[in-house]
Amino acid sequence: MSNDDAVDSNQHPWLGRLIVVGVFLLAQGVAMLLVAFIALLVSFEPGWSATIEQASLLQPGEAKSGSLLLKDDGATTEAIRLGTDVDITVSSPTLRARVTQVFRNPTKDWVEATYVYPLASNGAVDTLKMVVGDRVIVGDIKERHQARIIYEQARRDGQKAALTEQERPNIFTNSVANIGPGETVLVQIEYQEPVHQSGNEYSLRVPLVVAPRYNPAPIVQSVEFRNDGSGWGAANSNPVPDRDRIAPPVRDPAKNAPVNPTSITVRLKAGFALGEVKSQHHTIKTESPESTTRIVTLADGAVPADRDFELTWKPAAEKAPSVGLFREHVGDADYLLAFVTPPSAEQATQKPLPREVVFVIDNSGSMGGTSIVQAKASLLYALGRLQPNDRFNVIRFDDTMDVLFPASVPADPAHLGEALGFVNGLQARGGTEMVPAMRAALTDKLGDTNMVRQVVFLTDGAIGNEQQLFETITAMRGRSRVFMVGIGSAPNTYLMTRAAELGRGAFTHIGAVEQVEERMRGLFAKLENPAVTGLSAKFSEAKADITPAIIPDVYRDEPLVLAAKLDKLAGSLEIKGRVGDRPWSVTLPLQNAAEGKGLSKLWARRKIGDAEVARTLREMTPEESDKVILALALDHQIVTRLTSLVAVDKTPSRPEGEPLKLSELPINLPAGWDFAKVFGERPQQAPAQLRERHADARSQPAARRPTPAAPDAIRLPKTATSAELKMIAGLVLIVLALILFVFNRRQTLLTDAA
Amino acid sequence: MSRLISPLVLALIGLFLFGDGAYIHAKAWLAQLLLERAFDRSIATGQPVKPWAWADTWPVARIEVTRLGASAIVLDGASGQALAFGPGHLHQTVDAGERGIAVYAAHRDTHFRFLRNVAIGDEIDVTRADGKHFRYRADSSAVVRFDASGIDPASQGFELVLATCWPFDAVTSGPERYVLHATLIGTGEQRFAIEP
Repeated sequence: MSNDDAVDSNQHPWLGRLIVVGVFLLAQGVAMLLVAFIALLVSFEPGWSATIEQASLLQPGEAKSGSLLLKDDGATTEAIRLGTDVDITVSSPTLRARVTQVFRNPTKDWVEATYVYPLASNGAVDTLKMVVGDRVIVGDIKERHQARIIYEQARRDGQKAALTEQERPNIFTNSVANIGPGETVLVQIEYQEPVHQSGNEYSLRVPLVVAPRYNPAPIVQSVEFRNDGSGWGAANSNPVPDRDRIAPPVRDPAKNAPVNPTSITVRLKAGFALGEVKSQHHTIKTESPESTTRIVTLADGAVPADRDFELTWKPAAEKAPSVGLFREHVGDADYLLAFVTPPSAEQATQKPLPREVVFVIDNSGSMGGTSIVQAKASLLYALGRLQPNDRFNVIRFDDTMDVLFPASVPADPAHLGEALGFVNGLQARGGTEMVPAMRAALTDKLGDTNMVRQVVFLTDGAIGNEQQLFETITAMRGRSRVFMVGIGSAPNTYLMTRAAELGRGAFTHIGAVEQVEERMRGLFAKLENPAVTGLSAKFSEAKADITPAIIPDVYRDEPLVLAAKLDKLAGSLEIKGRVGDRPWSVTLPLQNAAEGKGLSKLWARRKIGDAEVARTLREMTPEESDKVILALALDHQIVTRLTSLVAVDKTPSRPEGEPLKLSELPINLPAGWDFAKVFGERPQQAPAQLRERHADARSQPAARRPTPAAPDAIRLPKTATSAELKMIAGLVLIVLALILFVFNRRQTLLTDAA
Repeated sequence: MSRLISPLVLALIGLFLFGDGAYIHAKAWLAQLLLERAFDRSIATGQPVKPWAWADTWPVARIEVTRLGASAIVLDGASGQALAFGPGHLHQTVDAGERGIAVYAAHRDTHFRFLRNVAIGDEIDVTRADGKHFRYRADSSAVVRFDASGIDPASQGFELVLATCWPFDAVTSGPERYVLHATLIGTGEQRFAIEP
C-alpha cells in the first residue's frame, strides 16, 4: 500500500476504510504466512502454493530431458555436412537437371553417409558421377540387388563407392561409402524431365525435401504359407514394408538451424520470346541475355532445403504455342515428343452438366501450420464455386474420418452454410489414413448418371502407402473422376500425379495461401468444362510405339503430351478426338519436328510409368511388368524400382582395420510444417528421441516457429487454491484441540476429585 | 500445566491454518477491489495501470456475467502470483475480441466460483483495457486434462474460453479442468446501453 493509495483514500472515505481493513488483513496474512510454513509440515497437502508447479510448466527451458539427446544428435548430425547444387538447363520441351551433393566429413572417423532426397516424379535419372579429389568415377546402371552387392563389396574393401537407389518414383537414396577424415566427396546425378504446361503457363518443379510420411501400422495381416505344404506359414502384410528407407531423421526447426544448404541455377531456353518468369516460393535473380533466354539464380545464394522450388514462365505473346513437335535420333530409332493443346474457346457456350462433387480434406498432423490454412481456403473457395443444381459432400480425415452428409446434398445455402462451419472448425492433428477416406469418397451412393461425379482431394500426400491408395482408386473409381490438390511446401507429387492419372482427373499444387484463388480457378475451369474425349493418335507411315498407349481425356488448358518411338521419321501424326460433342482432329507433319534432347529417356520413363500403372490396374501381372521395366531401364540407363546406379573407385582408400561409421544425414522439416504435430502424435513410429524432443519443443517460445504457435493444445494453469483445504484442516485441528482440552480438563477434575 | 500445551499448540496451528486459508480468500477479494480501480483508470488513460506499486501484472479486461451478477478483473498472464489476485489471461492466446481463442483461467474457489452456474446460452461480457466491449455467448463446456485442453490457439473464429479446476467441490487439486467455451456475438466501443 503505497502513497498512491493514501492519496486516493482521501478522496474516497469508504475506500480508505476498506484499505484499512485490507492492510489489517494483509498484516495478519503476513503473520499467517510465517506460521504457514510450520503448518505445512502438519498439512498433508504437498504444495501450499499450488501455482508454483504450474509456473514451472509454463516456463521454457525448464525441461532438461532433451539436452542429452541433443548431444547424441550432435554426434550423428555434425558428422557429415551436406551441400547441394542444382543446375537445370531447360531446352524448350524438356529440362536436364544436374544435382551435385557435396559430402564433407569433418570428423576423425571413416564414414558411410546415406541421404534420402526427392526428385521430380516423372524425371528419368540416368547419370551418377562420383568425384574424389581430381578423379571422376562414372556409375553404371545395374539391377538393384546386383548394384547393392557391388556397393557392399566396395564398402568392405575400403573403396570409395556411391549408390543411387529409387525408393519411390520421387524419393531416392544416395549412399556414399568410405569418406575419409577431412575428405570431401562429390556425388552428381543427372535427370531428364519434360517441362510441365498448363494453359499459357510453363513450369518446372524441383522438390528439395522429403516430407515426413505417415506409415499406417499393419492391421490386417495376410498369411504366407511355406512352399513345403506343411501348413505352416508366416503372417505378413505391412502396408509400407520399406518404411525405414523413406524415413530419414528430421531436424526440429525449433531446436536446430536448418541444414543442407542448396543453390539453384536455371538456364531457361524457352524457344519463344519470354514474358513473365516467376519463382513461387523463393526470391530469385533473373538475367536476360536474349528475349528467349533467362538465367535464374537464387537471390539469397544458398537456401535450406525445406520446400519445393517452383519456376513458372509465360510467353511474351498473348497465347502459348498450341502445338510443339520434337525429335531425337538415338541408336537406330527416332523418338518423338508432341504437345498439342486442344481448342477450348467454343466450350464456354455449352451448358455444363450438373455435378456431384465430393470434397475430401486431409486434416492430419502433417497438415499443421500453414498447410491446413491453405487447404481450408481452397475448400472454401471450391464450395463458393458450386452451382445451385450441383450436389456435394465433404469428408475430412486424419486417422479418423467424418463424412458431413450421409449422401451428397444439393448445394443450397443451408447445406453450404453447414459445410462452411464444418470446414472452419477443422484442426490439423493425428495420422493420415488416406485409404478409407478415398474409399468413402468413391462410394457412389446417388448413382445418378445424369450428373458428372467428381472427387476433389486436398492433401499433402505425406503417406508411405501410396500403392494402397492407387489400388483403392483403381478398384472403386467407377464413373468418378479424381482431382488432386497438392497442399504445402513439399507435397508428394508422385502421389498427386498418379492418383489423378488413375482417377482420370487432373491435379494442381498450392504452396501458399496467395496461390489458392489462381490455382483453384484453374482447377475449376477443368472441372467445369468437358474434357476432350475419345482421343487417338495415328502415324501415317512410321511404325510407332506410343505412350500413353490409351490416351487419357484432356482437360481444358492442358496439353496432350505424347511420346513415341519410331522406326523412321516420315509421314505425319494425326490426333483425333471429340471436343464436347464435336469431332476434332489435327495433323502434324513429322519433318517439321525440331531437334530435342533426352527424348528417348522421357519415352522410356513414360513406358515404365505405363507398366507400373498396368500392374496397378491388374492389366499386367507383377512379373510381366517387372520384366518390361527392367528391360527398358537397362536399355535406357534409367534408375527405377528395379535398377540402381553404382560407382566404385577402384583404388582402395580406407586402410584395413579402420572402422567405418554410418551416418544417416538428417533432413529439414518442410517449411510451414509443425514438428510437434507430426512427431508428437505418431508414438508407434517416432523413435524415442523424437518424442522426447517433441516434449521439449512444446515449451519453446512460440515466436521461433514459422507459424503462429500451434502446440496441439494449450496447457491450462492450475486453478485451485489450497484455501478450502487449509480452512478445513484448521477447523479440524481446532476442534481436536478443543476435544483434547476438554478431555484433559475432565481428567484433571477427576484426579483432583480422587 | 503440561497437559494444556498440546491442545494449545494444536489449536494455534489450527487457527493459523484456518487463517491462512481465509487469507487467500481475503487477498482474492481485496485484490479485486484494487484491480477494479486500476482497470477503470487504465480505461480512462489508455495505459496499463498497475494495481499496486509492486505488482508484476496489470488488469487487461473485465469479465461479467450479468445474469449471475458476477464480475472479475482479468490480469495479464496466468502465473501463480497473478492467479491469486484475479483471473489470468494466458499469454499464448490472443486478446479478447481478436481472431483466435482468448483463454482466461482462474481459481475455482475464488474468482471463477461462479463458472459452475454459467449455463449454455448465457452471455459473457468482456471489456478490454482499451475500452472496447465484446459480448460472447457460452456455447459448450467440457472437462479436460490440463495438458490436453483441445484448445487450438490457431483457431480462426472469435472465441473465448474460461477455464478453471474441476471438479468444483474437490478439496485437493487434480489434473482435470473445466472449460467453458464461448463465441463472439457482438462488439462495441462502449458498454452496451441496454442490458437484457
